[in-house]
Amino acid sequence: MNMLNPILARLNKMPRAALITIGLFFALGTFAPWLAPQDPSTQNLLEAGLGPSAAHWLGTDHLGRDTFSRLIIAANTSLVSVGSVLGAAMTIGILLGTIAGYHRGWVDDLLMRVVDVGLSVPSLIISLAVIGIVGPGYWTMVLALALAWWPMSGRISRAVAVSIMSKPHIEALRVLGASPWRIYFGHLLPGTIGSVMVYATADAGTAALAVATLSFLGLGIQPPTPEWGQMLVDALPYLESDPRQVLLPGLALTAAVIGFNTLGESIALNRIPKPLTRRMLAIRRAEVASWSKENSDA
Amino acid sequence: MIHFISKRLKHSLVLLFMASLVCFTLVVSAPGNVAVLIAELRGAVATPGYVEQVEEEIGLNKPLLMRYVDWLGDAVRGDFGISYRTGQDVSADLANRMLVTGTLIAGSAVIATLISLALGFLGAFWPYRLPDRVSRGLALLGASTPTFFVGALMIYAFSVTFQLLPSFGFDGPKSWILPWLTIAVLPAAVLSRVVRVGLEEAMVSPFVLTAKSKGLGRTAILFREALPNITPIFINALGTQVGLMTATAIIVEPLFAWQGVGDYFLAGVRFRDFMVVQACLLIFLTFFIVVNLIVDLAVLLTDPRIRRQWS
Repeated sequence: MNMLNPILARLNKMPRAALITIGLFFALGTFAPWLAPQDPSTQNLLEAGLGPSAAHWLGTDHLGRDTFSRLIIAANTSLVSVGSVLGAAMTIGILLGTIAGYHRGWVDDLLMRVVDVGLSVPSLIISLAVIGIVGPGYWTMVLALALAWWPMSGRISRAVAVSIMSKPHIEALRVLGASPWRIYFGHLLPGTIGSVMVYATADAGTAALAVATLSFLGLGIQPPTPEWGQMLVDALPYLESDPRQVLLPGLALTAAVIGFNTLGESIALNRIPKPLTRRMLAIRRAEVASWSKENSDA
Repeated sequence: MIHFISKRLKHSLVLLFMASLVCFTLVVSAPGNVAVLIAELRGAVATPGYVEQVEEEIGLNKPLLMRYVDWLGDAVRGDFGISYRTGQDVSADLANRMLVTGTLIAGSAVIATLISLALGFLGAFWPYRLPDRVSRGLALLGASTPTFFVGALMIYAFSVTFQLLPSFGFDGPKSWILPWLTIAVLPAAVLSRVVRVGLEEAMVSPFVLTAKSKGLGRTAILFREALPNITPIFINALGTQVGLMTATAIIVEPLFAWQGVGDYFLAGVRFRDFMVVQACLLIFLTFFIVVNLIVDLAVLLTDPRIRRQWS
């Protein structure tokens, strides 16, 4: 419980609505197979395009599939793909970023130049180019998005690694004769991973959006598997007769993205040190003065 | 100043060279035998004899450096080769489509600028009051709604429900409005925050205090003192957003059945038509580099501080 307290205290400062939305997204995504009341891919053309009823809470789509179940399963699809994309992107980014931060010199220059180029080109264009070369498919999509996403975590982990490397305990380790491997794996890598993970959660919203966009374009998650972007494009031809099938997946996706964006903003704001007030300055001065007194006593 | 421009131009040329290298290596590193793929795309059975013939035809059997030089030489002269799939001239296809995408991006850049300035000023005029909170909420909503959902909502509202505007096609200004608005939502949301924050920072700077002490009103200070001060920041952010519009164009063009570069790129990706992917990618990258160059020069013109630094 003691370990949870600082985490809970930090969560308390975050916007409540965003936390609830993200919590709901995670819960739905994790337990989707048990929560969905009906099989998401069972077609029943006799019940196609129905409105909400006791049997189908949010109606059915043009093939008679239960929309409510499909929306829930789509949260699972989204969560799994976002997890694999961010996992792959962070692995590449942290590895290259820490190597650049450890080595400095020309390795650093080269990698950061690549990161600059990667960050200046829209991620959709990078991932589409990769899909165009390798050919469409689920794992191609994950690879393509990871290749478009790693520069961000690469830049952050490089900055964190540089600041860790300039700390006195690394110098002390060097003096003790620790091998580069021990410094890298024992001290640099674990220290970097933690900070980069925090930023990655803020990125999850854009990653979910990218997965949905690729699925909307027909190059991400393929039809029988429900996914919000792909459900939306599926229902688009019936926009006139059945707008609900377009609105519902769009709203679900928008809610998730808003949640992650608000959370990301508050994480970014919490990182900026606030200027000290005069009262706090006075307290700090008194504290520093008492240190010198302790030292003179000793 | 001339020193700055020449340095900046050289920088752009180096970037262009790197972009061409990226486009070339991406296609060269494609897995599988490209010649077999082309033979199959043409609907022929990929017999070894035919594959060899295809290799000879597109020059796949030459050394890499030669292929790069050949390709770059052609590309600089505006010749992007022949589409593997349709057998048509890529440059001829692109010429018309660039006009369509240009219309799309130019129009939505103007709309995004107008909306963001209006929202940003609204927030800066009544800071932390209702108008500010509304403009902030709209910005969050606009920045978080997926572009394809915005497009679907636009079609549903303006074409299906009120039947005011056509939902697809590229004929006349009336059919341009919906795609323009769809693309403009995201940049307008982001830029409105840039304007709002920039104005707030400008409003606490010493020159605004001077203007206040001269007896100028809030409106006069905002427009005459603060607005010129945020112009360089705004141009910078607008440049980034215009670059990002190429990506949203890929989503919006198929949605409204526009035959633009984004649509062409998407078709190329779908059918693995390497020549089309390569050509579109080179055009996109060139566009980013040119936009960045224009932004830097525009900032130089609007910001006397930077101009003085370089003279």
